[in-house]
This record gives sequence, structure tokens and C-alpha cells, in this order.
Amino acid sequence: MEKTEIIDQLTSIFRKTFSDDTLVLSDEMTADDVDNWDSLSHMLLITEIEEQFSITFKLRELNKMKNVGVLINIVETKLV
Amino acid sequence: MIFTSLNFFIFFPTVIIIYYIIPKKFRWRFLLIASLFFYINTQPVYAVLLVLISLITYKFAILIEKEEIEKKRERYFTISLILILLPLFVFKYYNFFNESIFSILEYLGLRFRLPEITLLLPIGISFYTFMAIGYIVDVYNEEIEAEKNVGLVTLFLSFFPLVLSGPIERAPSMIPQFKNNLVFNYQKAIKGFQLMLWGYFMKLVVADRIAIYVNPISSHIEQHSGNTLLLSTLLYPMQIYGDLGGYSLIAIGVANIMGIDVRSNFNRPFFASSISELWRRWHMSLISWILDYVYTPLSFALRKLKMKGVLITIILTLFIMGMWHGATITFLMWAAYQGIIISFEALTKNKKFIFEQKYNLTNKFWYIFISIAFTYILFSLSFLTGGYRHTFSDGFLAFKKIIVDSSPILLDKANLTYAFIGIFMLMISELRDEFFPDKFLLFDNKNRFIRWIAYYFVFIIILILGVFNTNNFIYFQY
Repeated sequence: MEKTEIIDQLTSIFRKTFSDDTLVLSDEMTADDVDNWDSLSHMLLITEIEEQFSITFKLRELNKMKNVGVLINIVETKLV
Repeated sequence: MIFTSLNFFIFFPTVIIIYYIIPKKFRWRFLLIASLFFYINTQPVYAVLLVLISLITYKFAILIEKEEIEKKRERYFTISLILILLPLFVFKYYNFFNESIFSILEYLGLRFRLPEITLLLPIGISFYTFMAIGYIVDVYNEEIEAEKNVGLVTLFLSFFPLVLSGPIERAPSMIPQFKNNLVFNYQKAIKGFQLMLWGYFMKLVVADRIAIYVNPISSHIEQHSGNTLLLSTLLYPMQIYGDLGGYSLIAIGVANIMGIDVRSNFNRPFFASSISELWRRWHMSLISWILDYVYTPLSFALRKLKMKGVLITIILTLFIMGMWHGATITFLMWAAYQGIIISFEALTKNKKFIFEQKYNLTNKFWYIFISIAFTYILFSLSFLTGGYRHTFSDGFLAFKKIIVDSSPILLDKANLTYAFIGIFMLMISELRDEFFPDKFLLFDNKNRFIRWIAYYFVFIIILILGVFNTNNFIYFQY
């Protein structure tokens, strides 16, 4: 899957999870930049991503996701 | 030795002077000696336990790091967690099991009791236990390397500003500072003095003044009217905030004066507009520890259950937090109360968000104000379901009285006036930081004259309104 395609799909997952149709992803984006993104919605987001891309994260990878850029990279490596 | 004791006012300046006289490379070793002295001075016997836990933590982190076979690594990890947690469990829950579980068995006709011993809880045991576990998990997850110097691990766990009540720090931010960042920094030292001054204000003027009113009332609920109980219930969150918040500022300030950064513990909690937000602003070092080492692994394990999994995790996490505060039924009730509110907020969060966006409510002052007041009241009431000096029936009695008993309120006027002056000053300062950051500055004003007037003013307020004959912090019991 192309990186742009991954980002497109992620964007729609983010928009749905955080109820914000105007959300635009960037590499440096963190939970602090998104109004509705907290520890409760975070796990819902993770589950949604896992289902959409048919991948499984490890807890260790979750701890490494410091921003959206890292998340995109991890998803990318899992799809190869 | 606690921050409000005379001993500390001799100990701390002495430490600072020696610390900055000796060469930089000896400083962490000196801090270790000072920290052990500080703890021995507080509880001589239990210093052994602190050192023992440090040794176990040090040794197992290295074993975990060196081991290449995953099965063995996991085994070392599990053993280390058990060894580190064991003393906390023994000291905290021995009497609980003895009293509650076995009395139930006895009631069922099974006579079986462990010998009764009253164990004094080692001060700070929860805090250094949590820090040790955080370190072990971080090494296990390969987020940091195991520290090869046993002295540094011991210093990390026994560092005197933090050892009694936190903030609960993390190895990745502390150990590197001990290793190579122990230098004098003028800005940081000034900040440290300011935090200490404000911390003493919060403790001695706000918390201890309120305590004079609230403590006797909550230990004799049956004798007081509903209105009195309501006022003391509403004051109680301020008391804990002044107590633990003040303690934390002093701790952070002390560390800053030595050039060490420590994470903050409170972020203007009473400006939260929901209970979930309040928990992100309240006792933050504990909450973030719980989030990283309890909540995240649990909710990750239950993530396939989606929203149901999140709710189960919230309840379980709060249950563990409640059990940590005290192994009593009241804290279970407290956890249930918080759990219900936070679950409700989680379920309605998106709807609320859309609603607020639609009417542009989050920009309206009256809406923010009502949300803040409502959150504060909800939070205060949670202490009726379980507070550290209540039994459940006490809490229930208080609740009933608040609703039905309207006999006159007890006002201890002079003392309450002092308390309210303290609360007013605290809230005005937080109001400024929340809504007008960088405006109306006093401690941080560019004008040196205004800064010094502010320092003297707060100092004099502490001397006049402060309470100097208590000698305790609420959170030492955890």
C-alpha cells in the first residue's frame, strides 16, 4: 500500500474516532493537538486502525508511538 | 524529617552549601548520602527496606537486560515485580486481610487468624515502589538501558525531595540528570525558591487552616449539622490540594535549587470542566504512572472489546487506585463513584463535543464557569463515599444530614477567614495562570521591585496566617 493511501485511510479513521471532519494529519501531530484525543479514545483509535488494516500492534510499539509520524511508519512496516 | 520541620531548615541549607562547594563529579554521591541520611532521620529501621528494594531493582534490571532467551527474561521480570511489590503488600494489606477476610471466615465458623501485629507503614513506600516498577518495566520494554551503577539506582529511588510523597518520577528523566547535569542554574534556582515559597503557602495557610475546621468535623460527623458537613465537604478538596499540591511544589523547588528538573504534579485542577479532565490535572505524576503501567497494558489486552473494554479498564484501574489509597470498603465505593462518572463521560464524550461545537459553548465564560463549579461539586461529593477518615456509614450519615438536616452552621470565624484569604489568593493566582498567562505577573514580573514585594507579601502572609504546630502531610500515609 502506498504511503499516501495509508495516510488517507488513517485520516478517515481519525476523523471518525474524534468526531472532527476537518482533521488533517501531520507527522508531528500528537494527542495534545487533537481536542478529543485522550487515553480513552486512544485505545479505540488503535483498535480501529488494527481492524481497518488487518494488522496487530504490540504493546511495545504502542509505547513508541510518540506522534502521528511514528504511527504511520509503524503501520507502513506492518503492511510490507 | 519533613519539609515543615525545623530539622529540614537546618538540613536543606547545609546540603545546598556542601553540594555546590564540592566538585561536580562528587555531587551525586553526596546527594545519595544526604538522601539516605534524610530517610534514616525519618524512619531509621525502614531505610534498610529502601536500600534493599534499590538493590533488587538494580540487580534485576541488569539480569533482564542481559538475558537473551525471552522466556527467562519474562521470568526475571515477573520475579522482580513480585519482590518489589511484596513489601508494599505486606505492610499495606496484612492488617486488612487479617481483619476483613478472616473475620468473615470467623463469622462462618472458621476460626483462623494470623497473629496480630501493628505494622507502621514505611513512609513513601508506595512512591519508591512505583518508581522502581516503572524503571524495571522501562528496561524490560527496552526503552532505557539498565543502569550499571548501583549508587545511581539507589539515588533515583531515595532522592530526598521525592522519597516521601513524590512526584513519582521516571528513570529516563532522572538518572541522566544525576549523571551529568548537577550544575548551578540561576534561573532554575530562582524558580525553585518561588515554588518553595508558594508551596509553603499552600500547605501552611491553605491546607492547615482548612484542616483546623474540617478535621474535627469529619471525625465527629454525628455531632454536626448538615450545613456544617456540606461546608467541610466542599472545603475538603482544597485541603488535599493545598497539602499534596503544596508538598509537591516544595519538593520540585528543592530539586530545582540543586539544578534538577522534576515533573509537575498538579495543573490547576479546579479549573477542569469534567471529572476526566480533573484527573488529568490532579496528582499527575501518579495518574500518568497508572496510565502507563496499569491502564495502557490493561486496555491494550481488552481492546477487542472496544468501548466495553475501555469501560472495564476504567473500573479496574480505579479499583486498583482505590485499593492503593486504602484497602477499605469506602475506597471501593469511591472507585465505583468515580468509575460511574468517568464511564458516563467516556460514553457521552463525542456527543458532548459535537453539542459544544454547535453552540460554540467552549468559548463562553458562563458555560466554562458552570462546568468548573459542577465538576468541583461532583469531586467534593466523591469524598463522602470514601475519604481517608470516613467509614462508609459515616459518609452515608453525612450525606443524609446534608440533605435533610438544616440546623445552623458551625462557623469558626477567625480561622475560616484566614483559610478563605488563603484560598482566595491561591485561586486568583490560578485564575491568572489559566486565563491570562503572562499578564499581571508578580513572582515573574520584569520589575525587580514588584517581584520582591510579592515575595515579602507571601512570606508575611505565611507568618501571620500559617499554622505552625501541625507536623504532617496527608499523603505520607500512602
